[in-house]
Amino acid sequence: MADTPQAAVKTADEIGTLSRKERKKLHMQKMTKEELAYLRRKSVTDKVWPFFRAFILIGLGFVIMYPLIYMVSCAFRERGDMSDPTVMWIPRHLTLDIIRETVQAMDFWNTLKTTLVLNIGCSVVQVFSCALTGYGFARFSFRGKKLLFVIVIMMILVPTQVISLPLYSQFRYFGIKGLFSINLIDSKLTMYLPAITGNGIRSGLMILIFRQFFRGMPKELEDAAYIDGCGPFMTFIRVMIPNAASSFLTVFLFSVVWYWNDYYVSTTFFTNTRTVALMLTNLDSELKLRLFNNISANINPREAIVWKEAGCLICIAPLLLMYVLLQKHFTEGIERSGIVG
Amino acid sequence: MSSKKARKLPYQRRKALYGYGFISLWLVGTVIFFLIPLIQSLRYSFCEVKVNPGSLETEFAGLKKYIYALNEDQYYTEYLSSTLLETLWKTPLILIFSLFIAVILNQKFRGRTFARAVFFLPVIIATGPVFKIISGDMSKTGNTGAQRFSTMFSTDLIGELMEFLGIYGLSDKMNTMISAVADNIFGIVWSSGIQIILFLAALQNIPSSAREAAEVEGATAWEYFWKITFPYVTPFILANFIYTVIDSFTSPMNQVMNRILELKSQWDFGEASAMAWIYFAIVLAAIGIVTFIVNKFVYYEVD
Repeated sequence: MADTPQAAVKTADEIGTLSRKERKKLHMQKMTKEELAYLRRKSVTDKVWPFFRAFILIGLGFVIMYPLIYMVSCAFRERGDMSDPTVMWIPRHLTLDIIRETVQAMDFWNTLKTTLVLNIGCSVVQVFSCALTGYGFARFSFRGKKLLFVIVIMMILVPTQVISLPLYSQFRYFGIKGLFSINLIDSKLTMYLPAITGNGIRSGLMILIFRQFFRGMPKELEDAAYIDGCGPFMTFIRVMIPNAASSFLTVFLFSVVWYWNDYYVSTTFFTNTRTVALMLTNLDSELKLRLFNNISANINPREAIVWKEAGCLICIAPLLLMYVLLQKHFTEGIERSGIVG
Repeated sequence: MSSKKARKLPYQRRKALYGYGFISLWLVGTVIFFLIPLIQSLRYSFCEVKVNPGSLETEFAGLKKYIYALNEDQYYTEYLSSTLLETLWKTPLILIFSLFIAVILNQKFRGRTFARAVFFLPVIIATGPVFKIISGDMSKTGNTGAQRFSTMFSTDLIGELMEFLGIYGLSDKMNTMISAVADNIFGIVWSSGIQIILFLAALQNIPSSAREAAEVEGATAWEYFWKITFPYVTPFILANFIYTVIDSFTSPMNQVMNRILELKSQWDFGEASAMAWIYFAIVLAAIGIVTFIVNKFVYYEVD
């Protein structure tokens, strides 16, 4: 430490003449032991970490992609290739037959149409009703609000399996006891009615998201609208919804995904209506019925995988397409939608 | 003064009425589609339920169904304990794993968008029947070949990865160990989609000034994680915890739920309801305890 002033003088004189490397060396000499150790450690981690990171990401990415790769690999091969031990990933006989047969067995295009109409219809009404409710919870104070909000939390926590059975009898004899009752089972109303009233699939979560989101919006927006003589409902439609557009889109996308994937609620209430998820669950029997005209046909189970994987593939293809196109809204939407905080 | 108060009070009451107006649609739906069925199912669990064509007949039976579920049903307690145990060790692992991945995905590197897209992929698949097939729950179809396929799929995963990378001939013991880990890695990776998104959202809330300050002070990555990252994400740990636990309800691998569904399809509604309520009560109690403890220690910056 004693010779530091000397060194400082030296640098002041000669700094211009020294090369970059020498200057750096001089700088290093002035550093304490801890600083040097820190720098050394940092340079090592900076070099090693990217490789380590790449290894982790690729390895785990493989775990996620594996089923998809396998799906694609299976869906385009002939069924005989399944029993061929030399075929691992790349099919020996490339063919579109399996896909075509699966599409036929699932009656895919009609099923897809039904599913899309049902999904999008339910999602639209559900997003709207949940947004209304969330806004009510976020901006108004009324008696019993806390208790009612506890019910929202309960809706998130209670698994559907607990209430599905009484719900079934509710729909089976829908109406007022003693006055009238209709059988709603198999009707699409079993999906639409809960969705319209904010009780559809995972609606508790959606109400919570909207509540958090609306709470985070500046109050001045509404105050301005109120002063201009706008009623609360019109304020909600005219001011809040346009400002919340991106979060609406995110919640809508998730809602579509959840409805698309649902097979539990739909198996409970539908016996004839066909959705993609239901058809996939029943693919086995459908295959036998439609392809072989025989319900007890014996397909080599190993070869049946081909159809199963093809079914999976065409089943998630629309979702994947949507995901690829709208990826941003899936992931960045959540950050903005205010579930944060 | 009094006139001002008189004007103010109706306004507040009016606002309260509007509040009811906004939630009324939901309230009606909740009573019909949530509260009544919930109470019904609780009632079923205390009743002998007979299914007649045209109606359900119930007869009060006290705690009989609960006693049956816990003492007599040959699968229930076994499934219950194994499922609870699995939730117990899997939930922390999922939380740690998703936080770790979120930290990595929050760094800047080439191909980050693609990596994120891959890691969020389970979000759109893992709730559906496709996942059911992927994760190999084929018991419903009784398809032996499919079972073989699923075992191949889950246990040989790492083996194949090794072969893929050109590593052969690991010892048997090593193999079984690796395959056990691989089996669980699959489950964990596939059930962390939403959790990663939420943690990532939290990480992006960390102001860049915090990072700069830490760098100027010479904090190591480790210190940075514990002193800055961790406090910022703690509020999300609770949210993610609850989400993970709830998600385990709907997992196709959940044996308790499968058993309940099985009984339901045999029209044993009373038993099924009792089992569902026991399971639900235990999980709810666990969530309550954890929430209570966490809330004592977590500092919320924003309410």
